Amino acid sequence: MDSQTIVSIRNLKKSYGTKEVLKGINLEITSGQIIGYIGPNGAGKSTTVKILCGLISEFDGEVEIFGKLLGSKTLEIKKQIGYIPENAVLYEALTPMEFMEFIGEMRGLNSEQTRRKAEALMSIFEMKPNINQRIATFSKGMRQKVLICSSLLHNPDLIFMDEPLSGLDANSVIMVKEMLIHLAREGKTIFYSSHIMDVVEKISDRIILIDQGNVIADGSFTELSKISNDANLEKMFTRLTGNTNHEEKAEAFINAFEK
Amino acid sequence: MIRFILSLFIPFRWFIEKMGADYNQFIRILELKLTLDNRRVNPMSKKAKNDQRNMLLTQSVTMIFLGVFFGIFLSMIKSPFTFYYLSHTFLMGMMAMTIISEFTTIIFDTSENVIIQPLPIKGNTISLARNAHVFIYLALMAFNLSVVSIIIAIVKFGMLSGLVFIVTIFLNVLFTLFLANIMYLGILRLATGEQLKNLLMYFQVAIAILFMAAYQFGIKMIDKSNIMNMVLPVHWYTFLVPPAFFSGFIDGVTVRQNGLQDFIFIAEALLLPFVAIFLTGKYLTPVFNRKLMDLEQGDRMSKVRIEKSHQSLWFRLMSSLFAYGKEEKAAFKLMWKMTGRERLFKQTVLPSFGYIVIIIVLPFFNKPGSLSDMAKSDRYLFILYAFILIASSLPGAILIGTNQHASWVFKSLPMQSPSVFFKGSIKAAFSKFFMPFYILVTAVVCYVWGIRVLPDALIAFLVIYLFAILMYYFQNPIFPFASEKSAVQGGSASIKVFGLLSVAAALGFLHKFLLHWFAYSNLMLIPFYVAIILYVNNVMVPGKISWKEVDRVNTY
Repeated sequence: MDSQTIVSIRNLKKSYGTKEVLKGINLEITSGQIIGYIGPNGAGKSTTVKILCGLISEFDGEVEIFGKLLGSKTLEIKKQIGYIPENAVLYEALTPMEFMEFIGEMRGLNSEQTRRKAEALMSIFEMKPNINQRIATFSKGMRQKVLICSSLLHNPDLIFMDEPLSGLDANSVIMVKEMLIHLAREGKTIFYSSHIMDVVEKISDRIILIDQGNVIADGSFTELSKISNDANLEKMFTRLTGNTNHEEKAEAFINAFEK
Repeated sequence: MIRFILSLFIPFRWFIEKMGADYNQFIRILELKLTLDNRRVNPMSKKAKNDQRNMLLTQSVTMIFLGVFFGIFLSMIKSPFTFYYLSHTFLMGMMAMTIISEFTTIIFDTSENVIIQPLPIKGNTISLARNAHVFIYLALMAFNLSVVSIIIAIVKFGMLSGLVFIVTIFLNVLFTLFLANIMYLGILRLATGEQLKNLLMYFQVAIAILFMAAYQFGIKMIDKSNIMNMVLPVHWYTFLVPPAFFSGFIDGVTVRQNGLQDFIFIAEALLLPFVAIFLTGKYLTPVFNRKLMDLEQGDRMSKVRIEKSHQSLWFRLMSSLFAYGKEEKAAFKLMWKMTGRERLFKQTVLPSFGYIVIIIVLPFFNKPGSLSDMAKSDRYLFILYAFILIASSLPGAILIGTNQHASWVFKSLPMQSPSVFFKGSIKAAFSKFFMPFYILVTAVVCYVWGIRVLPDALIAFLVIYLFAILMYYFQNPIFPFASEKSAVQGGSASIKVFGLLSVAAALGFLHKFLLHWFAYSNLMLIPFYVAIILYVNNVMVPGKISWKEVDRVNTY
């Protein structure tokens, strides 16, 4: 499948009050790739994802997704994207089936189609028996699975995932990783924001590292490791974000609470 | 302000520690709770701090205003004992209603457990801080309600009497809080988990209705012609009635004429609230805390019944009547399910059903007469317009809930305008909680007054529907069940009921006036109201509820 530019970000800036969270991001993302979007806490990862998904409407700069300008064509863009938020917060009074029925209907799927898809997706996570139980009784991982299923219901071309593996058990993590690789092979684009360096390194075709609202590294792991001479992404991450003195910090931490 | 409030607890340090609480931890927890109240976002505005202050100020002024009415009534009473007895009864009633309708969620709040439970804090300290939190707002409310009565008491019975009255107000708050604790412990013993939460909800509803009924009957029963000379006799059982402790205490300190009787009242008023609170803190709260933890665990474990009302014929009928377009229908369906399950929603809405029953039934007790006599009156208009109580409880109830962070779902969906979702929401709540009962009562009204009143029932329905949707659309567009209920909001429910009854009466009188004005007013009013409703739903709302407005008050 030929790759084409799916997302085009030009000089993206976002401030909360006087705090500038994104200071001018420029990116071009092509289809069929898994983009690992990494950065330290507060670097602006979730803000970027929320802007791209249309959750934050006020920002400076220009974003085009599928050739459509975010802002004026947000509605059309939303129809083609899936989103898994950082925190698995759902309406607890609903059951997964009811939640997905609502999502499906709002996305223009008919009830029968939604139910069929929801059942199939939930079965893969071995959650079919829980499909008619209230979400209030679910663990964090189970909620995360509901979110993953609901974000894929409408077969989106671009999927934004903000810490999608959070709370999942080891088997589910392996399954989701495999699923992402398969989706990318089918031409879907996955924008994957995470703190788990190990997973990002293994599955990403391209890694984008942001720090303090700026992109400080961009390329495949092989390209980046050639330039930086780091054996793994974790080392590269710590060096590029200027946090190499972990041992000293750990020692200082122990001293601080032992005194 | 917080520091000042906390400093008021310093003299009671010894007492707090005797109850088994750690004073420093108690103060820290209380400080945290008050700070959070101060920063909590109000459903009516995003400017948290100033708004909470404004809300507190508005409530205080409303309470003082309500106190004026009661004060006028009290000012006619000559006997100090009766004066104070009625004051304390009024206070206890108002406080009990407030605890039940507003503060139960705060007493049973387990959200802080995740932070507090891993810390080495004794259960007694947590419970005491929780009660002290409620006490602060109750005391403020009681004081505001009594400002006018205190002034009247000082003028009528002297400075000393007025000052002792102030002391008894705080004792009354303590004692009422103890009674609430006892009551809740009783219920906690009866059930666990999800079952308990439902039981609590229905209990709250029942008590709220009971108070409304008692209040209505009580007002009717007083022989207003003889208020001035009303003197309550003291029987043996008077010593067992809480408001009598406090009025007897004031009498005992200021008049000092009744020897042993004064002594018993003084002892009761001074000792019982403290002994009661001591026993609560020392012995009841550990049980309470244990049960509260069970409640939280039970909720996670218990099997939950999923109601299927959204598959019924009634749902399909209402959906096709009220909701238009695919998105609005989806929102309608979602809200139909959720309103049936969200406990806070039901807690807010269900008492108004009880109030309606009381309002409809009460006249039969006052003026018993035949149905044919009644059919000659215009009373049916009042019965129909009383339904404004149910309709008006819906808009606010849709906002309050525990899903503060779940609204990202709606923002991530491809919705052209969020107004379709808001329209679907209020229409679902209205058709589920209003329509069946209104239709039933309309049928009874048509049976008693004849089919000729059917157009009036239709007009009343249109007016009430318009009133409800306007109330909803003029609130901030917060997504359903995403606004926290705060302690500061406490105390507003009782005032709201009185205010809404006045609105219902005004609308009923307007209707009656128009009916008498000319014979075919119905023919004009029905299309007039339908046109306004269509305008509101199709023109006003899409313009008013935009993504910009929605983003202003929701966080994703």
